Amino acid sequence: MRFNEKELVSLSRQPSEMAAELGMRGPKKGDVVKKRLVKLVVNFLFYFRTDEEEPIGALLLEQCRVEREDSQSFSIAFLDEAERKYLFECDSEEQCGEWVDSIVKASYEFMRKNLIFYRTEIHRLTGKDPLEQYGISDETRFQVNNGLQLTPRDTSSL
Amino acid sequence: MKLHEKILTHYLSCTSPVDKEGYLFKKKERNATYQRRWFVLKANLLFYQDRPADRHLLGVIVLEGCAVRRSESEGQLAFSLVFEGPGLKTYRFAAGDGQTQESWVKALLSASHCYLSLLVRDLGRQYEEAKLQQGSGASRHSSSLSALTQPTHFLPVQGRATVVREGRSYSACPVLQTQSTPPKVVAKKSPKLWPRRNAHVTPLNGPAPLYGEWPLVGFDPLEDFSKLHDYYGQEVKKAREEWLRSRRAEDECIDGHLIDLG
Repeated sequence: MRFNEKELVSLSRQPSEMAAELGMRGPKKGDVVKKRLVKLVVNFLFYFRTDEEEPIGALLLEQCRVEREDSQSFSIAFLDEAERKYLFECDSEEQCGEWVDSIVKASYEFMRKNLIFYRTEIHRLTGKDPLEQYGISDETRFQVNNGLQLTPRDTSSL
Repeated sequence: MKLHEKILTHYLSCTSPVDKEGYLFKKKERNATYQRRWFVLKANLLFYQDRPADRHLLGVIVLEGCAVRRSESEGQLAFSLVFEGPGLKTYRFAAGDGQTQESWVKALLSASHCYLSLLVRDLGRQYEEAKLQQGSGASRHSSSLSALTQPTHFLPVQGRATVVREGRSYSACPVLQTQSTPPKVVAKKSPKLWPRRNAHVTPLNGPAPLYGEWPLVGFDPLEDFSKLHDYYGQEVKKAREEWLRSRRAEDECIDGHLIDLG
């Protein structure tokens, strides 16, 4: 599959608050922990050999499970394959916590759900749709019932 | 650089909805001819393939750090994605008609992670203000919602414009004018599920669901905030329960963050 590699490499060079040297181990049997510069930019996790300019690879942080493995390491599992995980070893418990937190919140889908929540809440509190002023109320991606499974409730009082 | 493609294709075909799909003409760089391709936009990713039912994806364009431009010089139906930086590409497209062109341009303008991040931050601030103005409702704010209200940490790509309180400008996006439409009527019916589709197999032919179907959780502005949280948290709870059930019961520290809601 083709992709805009140069542009993605350029993206990996953007400033990021979450960039650090971590121990990283791939998901396959026999993979060992290697020191990598791991960098979070938008919803991608890039990993570099230390002091190299171009990343070795890019992981899209959507549809993945991030878990604490122990006090200083976390894992990310993709493709619903719970046993095939990437492992990351941090220098401290605090750093580990920050990474888990940041990765979860970096997901586009996570942010979208927040947006829909805020949109609904602001409308409930103020009677106004906050997206109208930006002219994006009708954009499919911001629809209120976009992908959310809302359990039916008794709405007879309304 | 290796892009882990399986992760992208898995995301594309998972149950969360596609943001837009349809035929567009993509200009080949070499000989300047246009080829018709089926495009699928999801989050900040623009996938393309020959036909809707194809399992084989031809390619993907990650939509960060690009501007969307209408290309008047190439015809009225043309537009392009211009990646800003030395040696970076410009992708050129043409739509079949004016309406298609407009709706794609609009969809692409709001597609980036950067844009969404600024929007969420802005709405988060508006939400906090609205709560304060509501008074007593805010004091019962559930602490478990803090994960939802914290802004993301990241700087916009290339450190460009942050959201200005009055200016409302976003990087790589035009300033959007305030609309003077009348307020929408709140629909008095239960929310509909978005029909699930596999983007590879079933193209979307109908229009997007209409705006206006706000979930009904009660009109009383003083309603207990935690009820609302519970209501929206149903899906999260369900996902968590399923996941917890499938986990081995060990003494692992399971962090209370939102994970895999897809």
